[in-house]
Formats: sequence, C-alpha cells, structure tokens
Amino acid sequence: MICSDAFRATGDAMADIQGAPGYRYLTTPHPVAGLTPAQVRERAEAVAGEVAALLTGDSG
Amino acid sequence: MADGPDPDVAREAIEYCYEQGWTDGLPVVPVSQALLDRFLAQTNRSPDEVLWRMEHLERECTVQTAAINAAMAGCLPEHFPVVLAAWDAVMRDRAAKGGGWQSTSGPAPLIIVNGPIRHDLGFNCTGGIFAAGFRPNATIPRALGLMLRNAFGVVPHVFDQTTQGIPGRWAICFGENEEESPWEPLATEMGLEPGANAVSCTLTRTYEFVDNRHTQNPEHLLNDFADTISRTGVMIFRAQSAGIVFCPEHAQMLSDAGFSKADVKDWLVEHCGRVEADLRRAGKDAVSEGGFGGRSASDEERVPGDTFTPFLPGRQSVPIVVAGARNAAISMVFRVFGEWSNSSVEIEPANAAVAAGNGG
Repeated sequence: MICSDAFRATGDAMADIQGAPGYRYLTTPHPVAGLTPAQVRERAEAVAGEVAALLTGDSG
Repeated sequence: MADGPDPDVAREAIEYCYEQGWTDGLPVVPVSQALLDRFLAQTNRSPDEVLWRMEHLERECTVQTAAINAAMAGCLPEHFPVVLAAWDAVMRDRAAKGGGWQSTSGPAPLIIVNGPIRHDLGFNCTGGIFAAGFRPNATIPRALGLMLRNAFGVVPHVFDQTTQGIPGRWAICFGENEEESPWEPLATEMGLEPGANAVSCTLTRTYEFVDNRHTQNPEHLLNDFADTISRTGVMIFRAQSAGIVFCPEHAQMLSDAGFSKADVKDWLVEHCGRVEADLRRAGKDAVSEGGFGGRSASDEERVPGDTFTPFLPGRQSVPIVVAGARNAAISMVFRVFGEWSNSSVEIEPANAAVAAGNGG
C-alpha cells in the first residue's frame, strides 16, 4: 500500500484497528491530487525500488 | 448552595469524562444509569439496535450508545427521538455512508426540524438560528458529534482527517420558521403529511450570507444568490448542490412576485454556473465528469471561453428552507457536501414508548 505522507497517522491507526500493528506501507510526499500524469510517473519511479523491497521482504 | 448539588462532585465527574477522552473539548454531562434509562424510555427502539456500523473501523453505534452520548451532549430525554431521527436522516446521505464523516473537508451536519415539536421542545426557528442560546439547537447536533467520537472512534488527527473543518461543525440545528414561510414546510415538500414532526439532515460545507436589502426586483435578488452559489472556490466536481436558508423577508418577496419554491429552484438551476474562461482562471476548466475534477484542462481539452457550465443538475440539488427573523433581509447559502437524500424522517412520537409500556 502507498499513501501520501499526510495520512500516516490514519494509516497507522487503521493498521492497529485491523489487527496489524506496525503494518509496513510506503508513502509519497503530499499532495498528490494536483499532479500531472508525468509527475505521477516520476513519483512511481521514485518509489519503485521501495515497492520491490517491500514485496520481496528485502528491507535493506 | 447548601441544599443544591455539590459543584465539586459535579466537577470531579466532568473531569473524569475528560480523562476518558469522551469530550469534544467542552464539558459533558456525566451520565448515570438512571439518566440513561430516562433517555431509553423515550423510544420503542431496542437499546441494542445497531444504528450504524462502520465496517472498516469495526465500530458500531447502538441506540443505547446514542442515548449515552445524547445525554453527555446536554440533551434532555425528550430530545432523544430527535437525535435518532437526525441520525437516520443524515445517514440517508450517500456521502455519510461512504466515508464522509472522515473526509478531509470535515463536513457539518445541517439539521432542520419541522412540525409542532419545534415549539413543544423549544427549538429556535427565528432570530439567531445559526447562533447559540437554545438548548435543543445546541445539544442535538453536539450529540451526533459525540456519537462519531465515542461510538465510532472518529477523533481529530487520526480517523477524523479534517483539514480545517466547518465553523460550528456540531452546532447547526434549527426549526423551520413555518409560521412566516410563504411556502410549504420542507418535510411536507419531501412527502410527509402536513404537520408531521420530522427531521431533515444533510452534510454541508460552507455557509455564506447574502445580505440584500437593496432591491424589490426578484430577479436582482436571485442574481445575488446565484453569484454566491457560483463562486469557483467551492467547485470540486461538475455536479454540485447548494441550498438556501431564506430569511422570511427574502422568501416572502419572492413569493409575492409569484415564485413558488420550485420556481426559485428552477431559476437557480438555469442561472448558477460559470463560463469556461472564469474556470480557466481558477485552473478548474474542462472539469471532468467522472474523476477528481479539480484539475486544469490540457490544451486539447480546452473549449471556448464563453461556454457556460451550469453547476446545479436539477431541483433536487437546491434544498430550500425558511428560517430566521424578519429583522433584516439576510439569508444564508450553504453548500451540500455530497448529495442530499431529498427526504425527511418522521420523529417517533414522544409518548409512544411510554404508552407502549416501555416507559419505565
């Protein structure tokens, strides 16, 4: 899961309530809503390595 | 004070409630079992009935939990059927069911009461409807806020993701001024029997006054409302909803000029909106129908600058109510957060539970 960093507190609280405290997810800088498609691609490229690491369990 | 309640004991109980995290920042009324029983005696609904469950939070609110929070909010027991009806009414909103309570915009429930119960319970319907000073007006919306907080755990900075919120978020509740309205009461318009005790409720965003004591021309007046309704700042999606709480003077002026409530709605639907050039200046041109609309159009999407974009899809997008005093020609435009259900909920008769033997 990836969310913008403004919602970290809510994300952590949702993980707690769903019985998964400490659930690991990724963030991207807030805001996202006004980005152009090209800027969204840049964000995706920036976080791609972390996505791979999270999915493969290689936290570095 | 020697014979009255011990203020130190009261304060101790109030502070206990603060320590539990049960308050919205103001003191709450400590609730005993005896007080809770008096609230539950006002309804035939089972204390265990689930009013709503938020699946993703795994939290729910029962009638009993609602009663506790209504009592803490300062309601009287006889206010409780109105609280239940207000909750049922607002939960007819698609937005309320779809996560609106946790929205970054922090929408406020607008609670409108119709019928003789307005006077039976002492609802303010006239001067100062958006101000403080009247117990049911102040405590019933606060009860909804405490239900959100204490039953569902929607608290600021965590599950309540409000960016700034709406001034008076848990304090907007009044009776329609049916006596000075030239039009049928809201609940009657929504299909309930004339004279029914009813609540209508929707989630709202901005409240902005229109002060027009300047004209006797109804179209001038409606243009003034259209200007406020049509400002670009409120635009997220193409389809919007804006309502008006008309003061009696404005409503009577329009009625005297031959406008029914439906006529006013039709006029506003036709005239509220902006041309593409205005939207372009705000970066909101060519707003998409489906996706998130707050984006600027790419060059190939641009349309002629004089193309008019209407904001209000139809009559159902323009709730109208009459309230306030005759003191001046000042009305209020409000912005519906999502989409109002266009319905009213009848309030359970106050003595029904007692008559049925559930009165305790």
